[in-house]
Amino acid sequence: MLSLLLKSMRSRIIPTSLVTISLMASMVLLLSIERIQQGTEEGFNQSISGVDAIIGPRSSSLELVLYTVFHLGRPTNNITTKTINDVKQRSDISWLVPIALGDSHRGYRVIATEPNYFQHIRYGNNQPLTFSKGAPFTELSEATLGSDVAEKLNYSVGSEIQITHGSIESIGSKHDDFSFTVTGVLNKTGTPIDQAIFLDLKGYELLHLGWKSGKKVFSLEDIDLSSLPPDALNPKTVTAAFVGLKSKLTIFNFSKNIREYTEEAISAVIPGIALSELWSIVGLVDKGFQLLSWIIIAISLIAMVTLIIASLDNRKQEMTIYRANGASPKFLAAMVICESLVIGLVAIIGAIILVTAVTYFATSQLNLALGISPSFKWISLDEIKVFGIILLSGVLSSLIPAAMVFRKNLHQALS
Amino acid sequence: MLQTLGLEYHYQQGKKIVFPEIEVERGQRLLISGFSGCGKTTLLSLIAGALQLQVGEIKFDNNDYSSMSSLLLDRHRADHIGYIFQTLNLVPFLSVSENIGLGIRFSQSRKSRVPNLNQEIKRLVDSLGLDKEVLNTPVNRLSVGQQQRVAAARALLGKPDLILADEPTSALDSETTKKFLNEVMEAFDSSKQAIIMVSHDVSIAPYFDSVIDLNKNHA
Repeated sequence: MLSLLLKSMRSRIIPTSLVTISLMASMVLLLSIERIQQGTEEGFNQSISGVDAIIGPRSSSLELVLYTVFHLGRPTNNITTKTINDVKQRSDISWLVPIALGDSHRGYRVIATEPNYFQHIRYGNNQPLTFSKGAPFTELSEATLGSDVAEKLNYSVGSEIQITHGSIESIGSKHDDFSFTVTGVLNKTGTPIDQAIFLDLKGYELLHLGWKSGKKVFSLEDIDLSSLPPDALNPKTVTAAFVGLKSKLTIFNFSKNIREYTEEAISAVIPGIALSELWSIVGLVDKGFQLLSWIIIAISLIAMVTLIIASLDNRKQEMTIYRANGASPKFLAAMVICESLVIGLVAIIGAIILVTAVTYFATSQLNLALGISPSFKWISLDEIKVFGIILLSGVLSSLIPAAMVFRKNLHQALS
Repeated sequence: MLQTLGLEYHYQQGKKIVFPEIEVERGQRLLISGFSGCGKTTLLSLIAGALQLQVGEIKFDNNDYSSMSSLLLDRHRADHIGYIFQTLNLVPFLSVSENIGLGIRFSQSRKSRVPNLNQEIKRLVDSLGLDKEVLNTPVNRLSVGQQQRVAAARALLGKPDLILADEPTSALDSETTKKFLNEVMEAFDSSKQAIIMVSHDVSIAPYFDSVIDLNKNHA
C-alpha cells in the first residue's frame, strides 16, 4: 500500500509538499520558542552556583542578581565596606567575596574582587573555576581574564591592559595612567564569567584615587604610590558581596537578619528565588507565543485535511480502479489516514532538522547577548510528546476524509 | 458458475428495473445489450458485488451474495472477477506494468496463479497485440485502444473466473473494436473463464455465444 500511496502523493507533489512545509514551519516555530526559552532558563540558572546569598543595597532582588551575576541592567547603589566587614563577623557565614563593578575594558566588564573569588564562586552543577593559563591575580597591578575576553582580544599571560571608567569607552574616560598585567586566563564556563576581567579590589581603588564624581581630577602619575598610607587602598564601598553559608538551612534566618541590619539599608538575595521570579515574568510571554504556535499548527492541520478532501474528487478514478480490483473501503480509508501520517512524519523530521539548526544559531546569539551557552541537544522527551500530539491530531482529523472514502459506494464510482 | 434469480433494482428516484434471469457457465461469452439507462451498469455492479442486493439472488459457484458481507464481497471480487471500464481504466501515476499488476494486488489466490509477474505481463501484452515498448510508455500517452487493451490485460491477469466488461469498446472505432474483441477473445481462457460484456452495440454479437437484450425484457 505504501508504494501505491507514495506514488499517488508524488503525482500531487506540489500541493502535498506545500502543506507539509506549512506544517513543518509551524512546528519549527513552536519548538524553537520552547527550546530557546528552556535554553535561556537553563543558562541563567547555571550561571551561578555555590553562592547562597548576594548581599547588596536594598532594591529589587531581580535587579541586583541581573547586575551582579549577568552584568545586565542599571548599576545598583553601593554598600560600605564597614557593613561588609560587619557581616563577615557573623558566625553562620562560611565565606564572603566582595565585588565592585562599574569599569570595563573594550566592552568587557571589570569585576574588582578578592583572589578568593576563584576559590568560592562556581558555575553549572557546582563546578569550580579552573585556569587554562596562569593563575589568579595576587598583586594589585594584576588581572585575570575570562576565556572569551582572552580569545576575542587575543590576550594571554603577560599582556598589559588599561581599564575604562564606566561601561562605554569615550575620550577622557580611560584609566590610562595605570596598566594591569594579565596573570591568568580562566577555562570556558558558558556563563558571563567568560566575558569578565577580574582585578584586585585594591587595584580598582587605586585607579579611582584621582577621580571624583566620574571625572578625573588628577593623574596617578602625579602621586608617589609608596607614600600612600597602608589603608588608603582599602575600598570604602563595594557593589555587592557573594556569601556562602555554613549551612543552607540558616538562609532564611540569615536573610532576615541582614534585612534588619540597622546601620545601612541592605538585603540578602537568594539567587535561585530571584531567578524563578524572572521566569515567572518571562514565562507569561512565552505562554502567549506557545499558544500562538499551537494555533498555527491547528491551522496547518486543517489545511492538510482540506487538501486531502479536495484531492478526493481528483482521485476518484484512482480509487474506483482500486475498488473494482477488489480493494476494500478499509484499504482506501487506511490510505487516506496513512497520507496524513506520511505528511506528519516528513514534517516532523524536517522540523527536527530545522529546529536543531535554528537552536544552534540561537545558542551562539544567546551567548553573545547574555554570556550564557545552553547545552545543545537533538530532541527531548517533551518534544517527542509534542510530535505525538501533532501526529495523533493529524491522524484523527484525517478520519473525516477517510470516512468520506469509506462510505462512498463503489457503484456510484463505477457509473 | 453464475446464476441470478428474480433480480430487481429500485432506484432512489422510484424507477424500478426487473432483470432477466442470467446463467453463465465457464467458457461462455455473454453479451448484454440495451440502450443507455436500461440498467446495464447496475446489473454489472450487482454481479461484481459492488452494489447491495435488494430483491433476488445471485449465486457464484457456492457463494450466495445475499449472505456475504461487503468485505467478503470485496474479497470475492478480488479473487474471481476482472473488471474493464468504459473509459479511464488506468491509474495515471502508475506505469503500464504497475497498472496491469493491480489486477492481482488484492488477491492472494490470483497472485499464486502468477509465479512470474513480469513474464506473465509480457505474455498478456503480447497476446493482446501491444508492443513491448508500451510497458515503458507513460499511461497518459497511450491511445484509447491501447489503454483498453492494458485494462483487458489487467482483468485477465491471474485468470479470474469471470470477466466483466462495461462498454469497453464504446470509445473505439469499428476497426479497433474488431481487433480488440478478437484479441480479448483469443487471450481469454475458455476452459476456466467466462466473460460478460455489456454494450449498446449489437454489431459485436457474433463474438459471443449468447446475447441478452435488456430492452426486450423491459418491454
